[in-house]
Amino acid sequence: MSATPDDTKDNAEEHAFRLRAREWLRTHLPPRRLQDEPMMDWADKALIARDRESQRALWEGGLAGITLPREYGGLGLDRRYADIYYEEAQPYRLPWHFGNAFNIVLPTLLAHGSEELKRRYVPAILRGEHLWCQLLSEPSGGSDLAGLTTRAELRGDHWLLNGSKVWTTGGLDCDMGICLARTDPTVPKHAGLTMFLVDMTSPGLAINPIKLISGTVDFCQEFFDDVAVPADHVLGEVGGGWAVASTQLGAEKASMARGWYEGLAAAVESDEIELKDEYGRMARSLGVHEDPRARQLIGEAFVLDAVHTLTTRRVSAGIRNGALPPTAGTLSSLLVALCDVRRSALLSGISGPAGVAAKPGEEGLQWGMTRVTRHRIGGGTTEMQRNGVAERHLGLPRDEADIADRTVPFNRRKVNPDRAQ
Amino acid sequence: MDINITEDQRMLQDATRRYLEARAPVTYLRQLVEAQTPMPDIAWREGAGQGWLAPFVPESLGGMAESAQGAIDAAIVAEEMGRVVYPGHYLPNSVLAFAIAQWGSQAQRETLLPALAAGEQRGAWCFAAPGVDSGTAPDGVRLERSGGQITLRGVAANVQSAPDADLLLVTATDGEGVTQLLLPAATAGIEVRALDTLDLGRRLADVEFRDVSVTADAVLGAHGAAADCFEQQLQLALVLHCAETVGVIDRALEFTLDYVQQRYAFGRPIGSFQALKHRLADHAAQHEGGKALVARAAKAVQEQAADAAVAVSIAKSHCGRWATEIIRDCLHMHGGIGMTWEHDIQFYLRRAVSNEALWGSPAVHHERLCRLAGL
Ligand SMILES: Cc1cc2nc3c(=O)[nH]c(=O)nc-3n(C[C@H](O)[C@H](O)[C@H](O)COP(=O)(O)OP(=O)(O)OC[C@H]3O[C@@H](n4cnc5c(N)ncnc54)[C@H](O)[C@@H]3O)c2cc1C
Repeated sequence: MSATPDDTKDNAEEHAFRLRAREWLRTHLPPRRLQDEPMMDWADKALIARDRESQRALWEGGLAGITLPREYGGLGLDRRYADIYYEEAQPYRLPWHFGNAFNIVLPTLLAHGSEELKRRYVPAILRGEHLWCQLLSEPSGGSDLAGLTTRAELRGDHWLLNGSKVWTTGGLDCDMGICLARTDPTVPKHAGLTMFLVDMTSPGLAINPIKLISGTVDFCQEFFDDVAVPADHVLGEVGGGWAVASTQLGAEKASMARGWYEGLAAAVESDEIELKDEYGRMARSLGVHEDPRARQLIGEAFVLDAVHTLTTRRVSAGIRNGALPPTAGTLSSLLVALCDVRRSALLSGISGPAGVAAKPGEEGLQWGMTRVTRHRIGGGTTEMQRNGVAERHLGLPRDEADIADRTVPFNRRKVNPDRAQ
Repeated sequence: MDINITEDQRMLQDATRRYLEARAPVTYLRQLVEAQTPMPDIAWREGAGQGWLAPFVPESLGGMAESAQGAIDAAIVAEEMGRVVYPGHYLPNSVLAFAIAQWGSQAQRETLLPALAAGEQRGAWCFAAPGVDSGTAPDGVRLERSGGQITLRGVAANVQSAPDADLLLVTATDGEGVTQLLLPAATAGIEVRALDTLDLGRRLADVEFRDVSVTADAVLGAHGAAADCFEQQLQLALVLHCAETVGVIDRALEFTLDYVQQRYAFGRPIGSFQALKHRLADHAAQHEGGKALVARAAKAVQEQAADAAVAVSIAKSHCGRWATEIIRDCLHMHGGIGMTWEHDIQFYLRRAVSNEALWGSPAVHHERLCRLAGL
């Protein structure tokens, strides 16, 4: 994976930047050990602390926010410098717990934030001071995001938030949250929303960890009890929260398609298909590499991997050069989700009984476990993605109940009769 | 279709589409089927006259190989043919033109290429033994050499366009390796046994070689040295086959999307029911995947890239499987009318199901991928 970086395309300035980055990274960042260290693990407090230090160090070393505007603390360089940086960073661990902050919050803040908010919060991310979480989903529902019920009411120079958010990745460890709440229940659901920037240490905000199937604690539920948010911490317009959320969800999808962990793969990719040795290694270790049934599943896994990479690449390049409409992005997100889920079936199929009953200390269960835990729920379920393809890309009509629900005032929409107050 | 095609390729696509829609729309196939006649020679000549084989034929012989991108251009044409379930002989003739241009002697090139390109001679490619694993290996015909005489024995199965062919390209094996030969279909000892085909727009035959005796000048290239030539021909054939399949899906999805928006049930278009919307979304996503794979396969084959063998098998598995799944479901979404003889979707589904099984089923290509991966 970490081929020697190709520096033949560098001009003199780029080359100087490369050499400086190379030297600096060598002395300041921890080594990359992907075999025994996850990219992100909110239960691993030491790893989170290390990522914060790394981000801080990158800032001090003049390597943070390479393509971000100078007025917000960035270096204001073009994408080529970021590519050089990622090429040089191949041997090191990057501060991937800042994924939400860089992939989602930054673009949203830059698109909708007031000058003051941008000058305050963008550099704080670059300095490694703020990890961010997304406070969108609620106990009453995540797919129907615009139907959320957390309320915000203006009291003088601040808003008071009441309600609950849930499934918040990194909620316990993040410093700031980007939070969508209802500011006007008398208008249709999308029109009554506002986006807030919330300090996660605010009084009245209780954060409870939630244990996952795997036993780890990755996400949380928050309870808001009169949590005060300064009036100038509204992102975008009051009542304009849906537009902000759309930017945010778009940024999330785009970064999932691009690769969430920036710098994980070398920036320069060839378009040749590579067959991973992972499946062969796995089959050999299980002794099934000559079994015709296992070979069928392995063959299909090769197909899935290629579908995944080539379609993502085709769609993003096609949207960029105008050969495909922007809505084609929905196709690749859905296809990636379908491939992901199918791949878990193949892995557990190849491992068979060894995936569900392994000798103590021997590997096996991790493959069966993908069948239990690999779903497409976070970031929008497969059903929501299918709705997106059908309605936005294929132009099929919306469901009538859906149309009715989005046009009635929020406080007069149909609700579960058992839950209605 | 690649997202990066050139202006010339865009024109080739438009011209091919216009020609096929005017001269060989799917109603043309229906007429042939109902009249129980194969496509007349003159119709194939007219099609070939569009310059379909020119990307493989050198300029000195009236083609444009030097300025074309053979596999990529041909994939564009094949995709258009899929959209109308074209009954002509494009794939085998492309493979023959490619093989003769690459490995033929001066005499073979001069006598055969112009005639193939004009559609005056029609070719077929004989190589695969019958059986469930058929379609990707030259295991159907054995060869024996003694002095200047060569004898061929065996059966090549499911040979596309063989009932209409004047010229056969035969890939055979002996102890020395793989050898290819060019011979007239009318050579003594060759029996072409036409098969009943599910795809009503395609004629296939088993071709039996009963001690067929030919002289060494029938050999294409060098004796025993054609293993790599075979693989390159197979790759080209798979690219065209998959590109055609993509065209078949493309058109079937297109008219199904129209249909679900026009057809009403319970006072609303059936395309507003989520049960159908979600399946169509999945189909559109898998279809986009197929396009990405075929674009890569065509490019890899054209450039003889290191992943060409892998790319064609991946494309064949995906396109084969999803064409059938998708078009079966498209038929389903038409309700009763979809089950009728009168509706054209049957031609699309017949071709999809045939294309999945021929030239190596998905299972055959999965196994091939394992071998290519060194497993
Ligand atoms: C690993 C992970 C991390 C997450 N991180 C965060 C985070 O950081 N911040 C955050 O805010 N949220 C986060 N989420 C929450 C996630 O966005 C929601 O779980 C998701 O949007 C689904 O919402 P829900 O759980 O309420 O399910 P529901 O919306 O209740 O859906 C239940 C089921 O009904 C289906 N369904 C719902 N509506 C429709 C429809 N219109 N048509 C067809 N089917 C439908 C869904 O597809 C689903 O299968 C995370 C989730 C996971 C699993």
